[in-house]
Amino acid sequence: MKSLLAHPHVVLLTRVFLGLLFIVSSLEKIVDPAAFAHSIANYRLLPAWLPMTVATILPWIELLCGFSLLFGIFIRGSAFLISAMLIVFTLAVVSGILRGLDISCGCFTQDPAADKIGWMKVLQNSTLIVLSLFLYFSNTERFTLFSYIQQSTPRRRST
Amino acid sequence: MIRLRQALREAMALLVVAAALGFIYTAATEKGLFARTISGAAAGATTPQMISAEEVWSLFQSGSALFVDSRHDFDYRAGHIKGAINVPLKDFDVSTSALRDVARDRLIVIYCDGADCNSSIELAVKLAKAGFKNTRISFGGWREWVEAKHPTEQSR
Repeated sequence: MKSLLAHPHVVLLTRVFLGLLFIVSSLEKIVDPAAFAHSIANYRLLPAWLPMTVATILPWIELLCGFSLLFGIFIRGSAFLISAMLIVFTLAVVSGILRGLDISCGCFTQDPAADKIGWMKVLQNSTLIVLSLFLYFSNTERFTLFSYIQQSTPRRRST
Repeated sequence: MIRLRQALREAMALLVVAAALGFIYTAATEKGLFARTISGAAAGATTPQMISAEEVWSLFQSGSALFVDSRHDFDYRAGHIKGAINVPLKDFDVSTSALRDVARDRLIVIYCDGADCNSSIELAVKLAKAGFKNTRISFGGWREWVEAKHPTEQSR
């Protein structure tokens, strides 16, 4: 397990996968925060005034975390935030299922008829939680922007 | 512990930047929190919005909104918000419903049982697709209305 956590290619692959996933999923929410607020309100967990505030900030957290993972900046902080968000999303989905709500997840599309909540969504989210926790505990600095800058700086000086 | 401290520090930085970007973007594009139609009673909204019990009550008092009950007809007959019409979600068809001749820009407040029902939201989406531009959803619904002892009536 220790060698896997330090394996640069496995960590890079996970970073790129999660990074791209969160960038893509944030875009529609950023473009239409009202529709995303509506998706959040459908869960009936927050007071009426709160979904719009959440919909204003949350997609940008997803976008920033996505880019951070992609470029290898603040990997630990991004993985921490993504894990926390995914845990909250999953609890919301489970709560929706248990209350018998027939609603759209609001995860990747804001179409109310698509991407309905269900146990498959819980399984998907759980897999993503494992991947983000893997990144949180990983300990390799390879293929990150910082390592690239550190490597390229002495080379530039020598030329 | 060092790992957690580093993660929290980085997460905090990301949160601050994300919040700033979110507020700047929505303010610049007049979306979300800064949308001109954010007020519950404002006209012209295309996305159905949840409104609080206070907003529902003030719309009722002003008489400016049409109240729509999306529950089953037997629930509606047993008791509904005074003046509300019944448009059950089940088998909804705008051409045969009571909303057929209602102006598409009329302010409409939709409600169902309470915070744990879903038919008001689904009806709002269907109404939006049918061209109704100004719908609101009562978050607390019928239960909140009754608890507040606001006017109700029964139908035979």
